[in-house]
Amino acid sequence: MTAQNGNVIETTDLTKRYGDVVAVDHLTLRVPRGGVFGFLGPNGSGKTTTMGMLLGLVHPTSGEARIFGDPARHPATLRRVGAMVETPTFYPYLSGRANLRYFQAIGGRGAPADVDRLLDLVDLGKRAASKYATYSLGMKQRLGIACALLGDPELVFLDEPTNGLDPAGVVEVRELVRDLGKGGRTVVLSSHLLSETELVCDNVAVLSRGKLIAQGSIQELLRQHDGLRLRTTDDAKARATLAEIRWVQHVEPQDGGLMVTAPPDRSWEISRALALREVYVNELMPVHRSLEEFFMEITGTDPATGKERS
Amino acid sequence: MIGHVANLSRWEWFKLRRRWMLWILLVFAILFAQLAVWGQFFSYRNLQTTGGELTVPASLQQQQGRAPRTVACNDLLSGDPARQPADLDAQVVAGLAAQCRQQAATLPARLARAYQGFTLPGSVSTALGIVQTLALILIAILTASAIGIDYGAGTLRSVLTQGVGRWPYLTAKIITLAVIAFLGLVAALATVAISSLIATAIAGAPPEGAGTATWSDAGLALWKAWSSTLPYLALTTFVTVFARSSAAGMAIGLGYYFAEQLIVALFSNLFSWFQNIADFFLVRNISGWVGGSGGLAGGALPDQTHALVVLAVYTLILGGFAFWVFERRDVQGATGGG
Repeated sequence: MTAQNGNVIETTDLTKRYGDVVAVDHLTLRVPRGGVFGFLGPNGSGKTTTMGMLLGLVHPTSGEARIFGDPARHPATLRRVGAMVETPTFYPYLSGRANLRYFQAIGGRGAPADVDRLLDLVDLGKRAASKYATYSLGMKQRLGIACALLGDPELVFLDEPTNGLDPAGVVEVRELVRDLGKGGRTVVLSSHLLSETELVCDNVAVLSRGKLIAQGSIQELLRQHDGLRLRTTDDAKARATLAEIRWVQHVEPQDGGLMVTAPPDRSWEISRALALREVYVNELMPVHRSLEEFFMEITGTDPATGKERS
Repeated sequence: MIGHVANLSRWEWFKLRRRWMLWILLVFAILFAQLAVWGQFFSYRNLQTTGGELTVPASLQQQQGRAPRTVACNDLLSGDPARQPADLDAQVVAGLAAQCRQQAATLPARLARAYQGFTLPGSVSTALGIVQTLALILIAILTASAIGIDYGAGTLRSVLTQGVGRWPYLTAKIITLAVIAFLGLVAALATVAISSLIATAIAGAPPEGAGTATWSDAGLALWKAWSSTLPYLALTTFVTVFARSSAAGMAIGLGYYFAEQLIVALFSNLFSWFQNIADFFLVRNISGWVGGSGGLAGGALPDQTHALVVLAVYTLILGGFAFWVFERRDVQGATGGG
């Protein structure tokens, strides 16, 4: 049963501690039904631990996690969910086909005939009889995606699905993820490739140090963090003036001018406020940020390396 | 629930039967069972041919410095000078002949016992007597490997996200391993039966007094041999789950068998009261249950009722702990082991 409010995933104060380390800190998250949901955050931000708690692999220290309105770790709930968490794991001595057949059978997911269809879908049909141990990283990744799609689940978790894929493979997976998100199915996509995420996701949640720091549609989040590049006759005075304006979120020196986080359509108000303090604008240019820039700004880290920005 | 566990067991078998290890272990079990049958057969033939053999120590031989040698009673008692050992003193030969005459009284019973050891149904008990010890070691290896691979390859994560449930999954694994242990014993015994028929045909007419073994004895021996593997299966399951490692499961499963016997042998000699404690040890009670020897430790083994109760308690406690740990633990990625 889907939750009455239309969210397929709901967590309330979900927390996981490992001794003194708080991996996930009172996470309250809502994932709406349908579409592709980006689950973003630097390495160690708690994404995989959260997925683990939702999939019944990790026991929460406190809080609640629900999928389709039911307790997340319940086996009956999990049978409606497909998942590929971290690197795919299969039995090395079994072939790709035998592995998929095994997982199809133990979970009662779809029919045996689906196995070959899914292997073809991820372009592994010709290597289906080869042992998993002989697969390249990209092939393992493809098999992991095929396994997550067994039984046509209503909710699919894909954790870094493009790892190890060549550029053509990345594009194929992007198209696949986009298609999966159509028709009422929900895909939760975790990736550090933010340019890819931006292309396929409808909504995102951003975690940093175990805490949810932003959630919403990408367009809305980016719009909130759009800005203005400003050059004035007196940047120090301009900075002090802008700091007093309630709807200006952030001002920082950048490239010999100022970067102001504020709605671009209110630039005339900025210009007027500065003029009233006898600060005059030399240059005023709206700046639309990419998801990557947004991510770096709110997490303070580089999405590719996970390292903090200096 | 039962149907779900049965389905998981079926697919556990799907995985296990594709591993070389299972078949290699089965070959070992069959070879040991064959050793038991043919060992008894050649022992019977030897007894038939020689009428029993006596060992002559080096000190009684005319040429000093030689290794101890054996002489056949049939030669000594034949009266044929050509068959008498020429390198022995006449007095020594006379003494040996006297010993042979004494043993001749028990020869028919010894022949009957040896004959029973390689003919059906007695050969079943004979083979199980040897295979049972090996079965403990083999089941430890198989259990550690079958459970440990989910930690080593990280497949436990993939399995549990299918919504199979932790309890049903571990239950299915244990049931499958227990069934494989039983079928392995039956397969080994099937080859024993074939060898027994061949050996019986070669041996010819049975000696006097042969044929006291019954099929119910054989069935009881099979039940005891199989049930004695269960506490060992529980021990290895617990260690493998606890350590999340097939190597640890194998090391403890194999090492414990010998370590217990060494400890009991050592401490029983030092402290008389230690024997009372040793009567609650796992391997010692397995020996007591199947009616084996005391192994390295020697001494009187616990009686069968005591052994059965102790083994049941071991199985329940170790199995219970294994399930408890398996249920409570967070599942991590691959540990890299096998």
